[in-house]
Amino acid sequence: MEHAAVQFIDLQYGNVLALLAIGFVGGLVSGFIGSGGAFVLTPAMMSMGVPGVVAVASNLCHKFPKALVGAYQRNKFGQVDVKLGLVMAASATAGVWVGADFQNQIKLDYGEAGSNLYVSLAFVVVLAIVGAFVLRDAVRVYRSGEIDAQEKASRLALWVQSVEIPGTMMHFKTANIRVSALFTLPLGFATGLLASTIAVGGFIGVPGMMYVLGASGLVASATELVIAFVMGFGGTVKYSMLGLVDIRLALILLAGSLFGIQLGAIGTTFVKPYLIKVVMAAIMLIVAVSRALVVPVYLTQLGKMNLAPQTMAWLQTVSFAFLILALCVGGIIILGAMLRGYRTREAALGREAVTE
Amino acid sequence: MEESKPYLQLIASGIVSGALYLLLYLYEREILSAFTRTDGWFPALPVLAALVFSFAHGAFTGYFWEVLGIKARRKK
Repeated sequence: MEHAAVQFIDLQYGNVLALLAIGFVGGLVSGFIGSGGAFVLTPAMMSMGVPGVVAVASNLCHKFPKALVGAYQRNKFGQVDVKLGLVMAASATAGVWVGADFQNQIKLDYGEAGSNLYVSLAFVVVLAIVGAFVLRDAVRVYRSGEIDAQEKASRLALWVQSVEIPGTMMHFKTANIRVSALFTLPLGFATGLLASTIAVGGFIGVPGMMYVLGASGLVASATELVIAFVMGFGGTVKYSMLGLVDIRLALILLAGSLFGIQLGAIGTTFVKPYLIKVVMAAIMLIVAVSRALVVPVYLTQLGKMNLAPQTMAWLQTVSFAFLILALCVGGIIILGAMLRGYRTREAALGREAVTE
Repeated sequence: MEESKPYLQLIASGIVSGALYLLLYLYEREILSAFTRTDGWFPALPVLAALVFSFAHGAFTGYFWEVLGIKARRKK
């Protein structure tokens, strides 16, 4: 049978190197905060001439094995709550379906520009609100001077944990929480909804597990990898049945991202826990700025604003630069913190050797 | 005492991973056309390939960081 009538690009060496590099940094961030990378990878592939749907499909095909390797690694460090991940993933899958249908409907009603506008607004609203909240929490922890202390559950999480609904209570051992499934269901659903809209469900999933359920940043970000695996796997099967996965792109991304995800996972074991929140907030807020910059472009395409073509091109370039900046800032904070953590450890080992 | 590093494992997994990527490079056209077929069991190919590459290359990258001395801090 014929495969789908889409264009698969000829791979240039420059493109391969770029994919390896972005794959590596995307993997580093994913290994550390549980998700991230897709927001740069998909537009980056599209800028190389890959059709949007192939870019999404190929990204998903690299995401699930990457998440698997990351989850396996962090499970060895005792950070993954597999049960919580699977419970969240179940309702996340439903969220993905609903989100994809909604997305299609918007495309039918308002066209490509309408759909782009909707995605960008979703990015800006969700990331600005959640990102600001996560940043505020990280700053609070830093100012309180309790950066080494065990993270405390938020007031909301304490309330959620106190609600007893017979027949729905679930105990999640690694996360060390007991909550009603009626709270995990909408949270997973929202994660899936966001994943199908902006490709990064973890921006809801991780803060949700931290602030609504009361899991620690370490456990939430590690558990997100289980959700990412399930959603990525389901998405890959779906797109593969339509013949839309460019396996070359997926495997090249994987070549870089597996180096990154393992380094990011190792990094979580020697940095202070609040740093996960810092990285997450920084990335979310910079990405929000990037998406806000292209809103006027889509508004012009819809005839609601009037911008010169040069201005639109300029805004799109600056927006893409901000996406790269978001990923780089995340990568630099992680590597810097790892280096400091590593030096502290070496110094401590040195002291031990002397006293022995 | 310095514990021994997994040099052999690094080399073995590196050869496997490298061979897989070499095959991808050499048979790029054939692989792409088979992997985008939508009939029969062909749609399973991308999933299987992603898993096989992640095991081989994942092992290699794991040993790579270990040989470089970058290891997780174990919590006691």
